[in-house]
Amino acid sequence: MDMVVKPKLQRDAVIETIVAAARKDKDILFISADLGAAALDSFREDFPDQFIHAGIAEQNMVDLASGLALSGKKVFLYAMAPFITARCYEQVKCVIASMNLPVTLIAVGVGLGYDHATLTHFTPEDIACMRALNGIEVLTPSDANSAAAIAQICIDDPKFRYIRLERQPLAALYHGGFDAALNDGFGHLCAGSRVAIVACGYLTHNALAAADALRDAGIEAGVIDLVRVKPLDGAKLTELFAGYDAVLTVEEQLLEGGMGSAVAEALIDAADGRRAVVPIKRLGLRDGFEVVNGDRGELHRLYGIDTNHIIAAAGHLAEARPE
Amino acid sequence: MNINDLEDKALWLRQELFEMAMRQKKGHIPSSFSCADIVTALYYGGVLNYQEGEPDFPGRDRVIVSKGHAAMVLYPVLADLGYFPAEELKRFTEPGGLLGMYADFRIPGIEGISGSLGHGLGMGAGFALAARQDGHDYRTFVILGDGECYEGSIWESAMFAAHHKLDNLVAIVDRNALCILGRTEDLVALGDLEDKWRSFGWNAVSIDGHDFAEIGDAFAKLDNLDGRPLAIIANTVKGKGISFMEGRPEWHNRMPDDAQMNAARGELGLAAVQGGEA
Repeated sequence: MDMVVKPKLQRDAVIETIVAAARKDKDILFISADLGAAALDSFREDFPDQFIHAGIAEQNMVDLASGLALSGKKVFLYAMAPFITARCYEQVKCVIASMNLPVTLIAVGVGLGYDHATLTHFTPEDIACMRALNGIEVLTPSDANSAAAIAQICIDDPKFRYIRLERQPLAALYHGGFDAALNDGFGHLCAGSRVAIVACGYLTHNALAAADALRDAGIEAGVIDLVRVKPLDGAKLTELFAGYDAVLTVEEQLLEGGMGSAVAEALIDAADGRRAVVPIKRLGLRDGFEVVNGDRGELHRLYGIDTNHIIAAAGHLAEARPE
Repeated sequence: MNINDLEDKALWLRQELFEMAMRQKKGHIPSSFSCADIVTALYYGGVLNYQEGEPDFPGRDRVIVSKGHAAMVLYPVLADLGYFPAEELKRFTEPGGLLGMYADFRIPGIEGISGSLGHGLGMGAGFALAARQDGHDYRTFVILGDGECYEGSIWESAMFAAHHKLDNLVAIVDRNALCILGRTEDLVALGDLEDKWRSFGWNAVSIDGHDFAEIGDAFAKLDNLDGRPLAIIANTVKGKGISFMEGRPEWHNRMPDDAQMNAARGELGLAAVQGGEA
């Protein structure tokens, strides 16, 4: 029987990259609010001065990071997504954003990643709230390789960044070539002409599955993996979407202020008062969404963002704009 | 400086602060006046290590006025140390001026931003931890409001600092017992703050925050901290130095009229000004 190799977790890929750098650079500090990872265990043992447990105390974690960063340290903060975003939002705004400090916030389990933990652990608003912070860069890897590459960027060029990590292992999408995606802010994972499906993180994988099915049905759908949600290059996106009839965004976020909003805003701003060139439809969580017990797939079905809903929505868009 | 000189310097600081605030009728006088003696002792009583004219001197002790609305208390001192021209004091809160109502980290001598309460102790713990890791012997002093101690983040950071034995960190609680809406003990009682800080693993001492002998005795403990950070509960009077503001919460962010301005000037040993404007 073949060995089934489980893909690496994004958090392990990120931590391995940071730990490798931290072994050579004592100014790299990794601070956790009580979230672990397999890759963290030996680092905690070997470098007790560079691993700091903040307590389950995210406010302290962020305030502490400001003092360390002002002292020349390269600081990585690490916690479950809901607690490193909304829980300590005022701290991030007041002492990191306000001084534009080179602190990296690493969130694990974005969106509906903690599916069975339900609402307290969901972050249906993390893109909206974090991209609203002044001067922040928001990055969302869709596999372990891209996560590691993003971690390396954070080491080589420390800035105020928010990194959105998926909790579950995801199949590898990038085998090299991620630099171009980081440069553009998106990876054009498969090219099409009718509908461009824009997703990030976990849902990029659903988008790819949907694009396969759409192609089988004669609809040429492309997939854009929106690696960098902020800043977005509206001109580059406009150029990309000029090759499509329509754009479909899909996300595990409330539609208010989420990834689809960011894309639409970028296109509107790039049009600078002229009519934006491409029709856009957004899939995501609707205001008032119901919280139920269920795994990720069931939640996606309920909220209309699973692969079948993506296929149906893309099909409607293609019908509305016949070839 | 001896105690008489420190008292003179504290009067000078209050005079400067008062005129600074009166020009644009902006600032928080009572909150600044309650910690003016502590700040005077820190900078002129031989407590802080700093170099005049060199705000970025690497070995300097760090000071954070975490109760950011009172950060203006530092401005005359920082100008006096040659960190920026004294003319800037006259442009306090004016467009194009360096000095704003709250502490901006771009002001030479201001270590980090403050204004929102509850951040300075964690930030200070970061400075203290970095100093230890880098083998520096500078200390970090954080001036907290007592009302600020309502913020849970203060106690998160207090716990953290004690665990890491940051005895290069000092919290000075300006215990003026007032918030905007009244007395802390009537609103939500803070209780025995000395006891609370001690129970969090800190050295703790209560003093009269306007008595330079007691302030000096408290700072003398810095050389013998046995691995625990130091909390100084400085019992103070909000508005200390202007009798009609002392202990009166309604003056938190209120400005005096012309007659009150000159009455205050009289109490501060300043000459009255026709029409009130400086």
